[in-house]
Amino acid sequence: MLFSSLGFIFGFLPVFMALYLLVPAKYRNIVLLLGSLVFYGAGEPYFVLLLVFSVLVNYGLSRYMFWEPASPQKDRSGKAVRRRKRALVLSLAVDFGLLFVFKYWDFTAGTINGLAGHEAVPVLMLALPLGISFYTFQMVSYQIDCYRGTIREPAGFVPFAAYVSMFPQLIAGPIVRYEEVADRMRKRRVNVRKLESGLKLFTVGLGLKVLLANQIGTLWNTIMSAGAGNLHAAVAWLGAAAYSFQIYFDFWGYSVMAMGLGKMLGFRIPQNFDSPYASRSISEFWRRWHITLGRWFREYVYFPLGGSRRGRLRTAANLLVVWAFTGLWHGADWNFLLWGLLFFVLLTVEKNSYGRWMERSKVIGHIYTLLLIPVTWVVFAVTDLGQLTAYLGNMFGIYGAGVLVGMQQLVRYLKEYGVLLIVCCLFATPYPAKLYRKFADRWFTVVILLGIFWFSVHEIMVGSNNPFLYFRF
Amino acid sequence: MKSGKKARRKETGREAEVQKHTQPQDSAAAGEPEREKTTSRRRLEKVGEALYNCPYLLALLVTSAAVLFCSDEIGIRTVCADAQAVVRRVSGADAPASVLASDKAAASAAGEEKILVSEKADDQEQPAVPADNIAGDILEETENAGECKAENNDIKEKNDFDNVSYTDKNAENQEKEIIGTTEFVSYEPVETDSPYYSDAGKVALTTTYPYTKENISYFNDAAFLGDSRTLGISDYAGLDEADFYCDSGMTIFKILDPEGATYRKTGRKEDLSRVLQEKRYGKIYIMLGMNELGYGNTAMYLDKYREVVEQIRKWQPDAVIYIMANLHVSKEKNNTETEFNNININDKNAAAASLANGKDIFYLDANPLFTDEDGFLDAELTFDGVHLYAQHYDRWREFLMEHGVENKVAQKGSGNDGRDTAE
Repeated sequence: MLFSSLGFIFGFLPVFMALYLLVPAKYRNIVLLLGSLVFYGAGEPYFVLLLVFSVLVNYGLSRYMFWEPASPQKDRSGKAVRRRKRALVLSLAVDFGLLFVFKYWDFTAGTINGLAGHEAVPVLMLALPLGISFYTFQMVSYQIDCYRGTIREPAGFVPFAAYVSMFPQLIAGPIVRYEEVADRMRKRRVNVRKLESGLKLFTVGLGLKVLLANQIGTLWNTIMSAGAGNLHAAVAWLGAAAYSFQIYFDFWGYSVMAMGLGKMLGFRIPQNFDSPYASRSISEFWRRWHITLGRWFREYVYFPLGGSRRGRLRTAANLLVVWAFTGLWHGADWNFLLWGLLFFVLLTVEKNSYGRWMERSKVIGHIYTLLLIPVTWVVFAVTDLGQLTAYLGNMFGIYGAGVLVGMQQLVRYLKEYGVLLIVCCLFATPYPAKLYRKFADRWFTVVILLGIFWFSVHEIMVGSNNPFLYFRF
Repeated sequence: MKSGKKARRKETGREAEVQKHTQPQDSAAAGEPEREKTTSRRRLEKVGEALYNCPYLLALLVTSAAVLFCSDEIGIRTVCADAQAVVRRVSGADAPASVLASDKAAASAAGEEKILVSEKADDQEQPAVPADNIAGDILEETENAGECKAENNDIKEKNDFDNVSYTDKNAENQEKEIIGTTEFVSYEPVETDSPYYSDAGKVALTTTYPYTKENISYFNDAAFLGDSRTLGISDYAGLDEADFYCDSGMTIFKILDPEGATYRKTGRKEDLSRVLQEKRYGKIYIMLGMNELGYGNTAMYLDKYREVVEQIRKWQPDAVIYIMANLHVSKEKNNTETEFNNININDKNAAAASLANGKDIFYLDANPLFTDEDGFLDAELTFDGVHLYAQHYDRWREFLMEHGVENKVAQKGSGNDGRDTAE
């Protein structure tokens, strides 16, 4: 079920919220858990069983880790430590194993078969369970935190299950850590004020998604429909810009909706984006884009590998691992690996040379980032390597068969999308968020939001083009 | 401004209160109006304040209720989702899909007969029987069930011999003129469960006719009306002389609206009902139906299509009208769980094809150029599964050039066709 679907907005959400508010506080976690399973089951009637299975196994293993608890600080030797290790390894194997089978099996099999020249490994053609990348990462973070002792006492079953499956962040993040919700799992206040401001946030996210991302997405779609390889450089750059906006507003909108819903439920879901396009270097960009994912990789991969403390070479190797996995996390395909490696190169170069200087600069850093980011998004967006080469070629004036989409179309696109592009540019700056924070309680904000809400609903009704980009992952 | 400040001040007061109350009682449903009844005046006030503090929530609830209440009033024009209600109104409540399907099949096959018939007959009852019979005959009799116009004519002539008095004018006017036929290939329809469409059970083929091969100048007096796919033809097929009136999202329901369609030579919106009365076109190509897939149903689509064709015929008596089949979508895009699939597209195409008369209205199906053996748009030719890459429009242009019709309709003028005079 999409947040931006009428079924969710007018069906699931009001019914669920009414139930959630009516039951006594101590049953709210159960209602949240069951509601989330219904939410997930509506879209994935079979894979909801997989989710339940994962939750049960992970919960069991985390309890096993805490069995006969000796404080991890004191009991460094002996059974307890081994048991903890065993539990951790087992849970990681299950979590990443399932993720591998469902997400990477066919890709791996295809690669092996390609190398072998015959079908050495069967291709399973499994569908990708919605949100598996997100909830797997969340459970892994829980297990590792338990192992490390960051989580002192194990969560009860319902709070744990509710934490993993909580519908605001179940299918597309943010990737929440347990300690961020632990207190509120135990006790949280729900009141009209939170309901109100959560609903407002939700509307903001809905607007970003439906009124900006979906609309500018049609420009990208139009340009790609004309065919990569047929484009004049200016059109190719326009397309890249359109996609950059689309993916940003799509994902940011989703995250804001998740925050809003979380607030309505009495939780605080962490911010996932902080005006990434206003960055002055690629490193800064990644500190502001999909923050919770970057944090996950830093905490659970980069730092355990030694981070940047073991010399330049080791740092580079660590970065390579992190970015190869970050790329593949976004999708099981070569272009995603390429995309991750591109960032590895950019970040390594920045770290060792001009990065600091860029971030201090006033203008050049922005230009540098704004020129590079669209190129990286093209690598991300175009899965077919032949088309990708053609598109990148077009961007830099290398035309194969000749230009079919030239100035005439460019003028038309600008006429048609000019206003929208300007609005997108404005919303890519930090100012709208600042204004919103300042004026959120004013009456005119209510009027504007009401307009945004109903305009979005109207657009959802008439438009069929309403996918979430991040649902692929 | 003032109210905002006040609200905030009250809010903090209320917060404290809520805290006091919730702790002993373990009830966090502070804002629930349902709590009203258990309380004293003070509590009532608190609820009032709570409501006062959530203007947005209230506004949403009120507007939602209003929309829910008024959705019947607004009707299908603004709230497209209400199409379902319309379907129910059209076909009787809770009609199962199969009933709907047969209704529609009859409607598209027998639609024309009914018009012809009603034109001839004085009362409605008499022709109702033969009309149904014809429809039945067509559906059962031949492999290519439901052969459209031409076959109908045959049957009508047969009926002439049998002295059933409802076709003579047509037969007289036709003389030895070559009439194209629009054939339908039938197949076993699939059960569908959608208010928007049903499986037509037949595929319309391009009207057979001794078309001439033309060169690019054939399009000098051509107009194209359509949606984003026609926009693609305009952009990439190299038909620079033709007039294109098209927009992404255009539908048969909107094409003749005063709001109009964008004239691609100027980039300005033009009211086609005005343009078509002022300009003279030799050919008019129509391709609409994709954006109607989830709007109304096929019967409504056909009704509107017929109305548009009749209207254009009236304004442009000499023009050859080409009804172009909507291209199928790719396998990836094809989704039978929504209305966005080739069964629906075919349903629309078959309906539109039934309007071709093989004389001055032709049905052209370019799908065979671009689809695989299962009828899916070839994945190699498209990015989004809906639109062709720019370089493939050349083939489409060739296809259009191979289907020239010598414009001879002018000699006879209109009025020789049942549909034309039906208005």
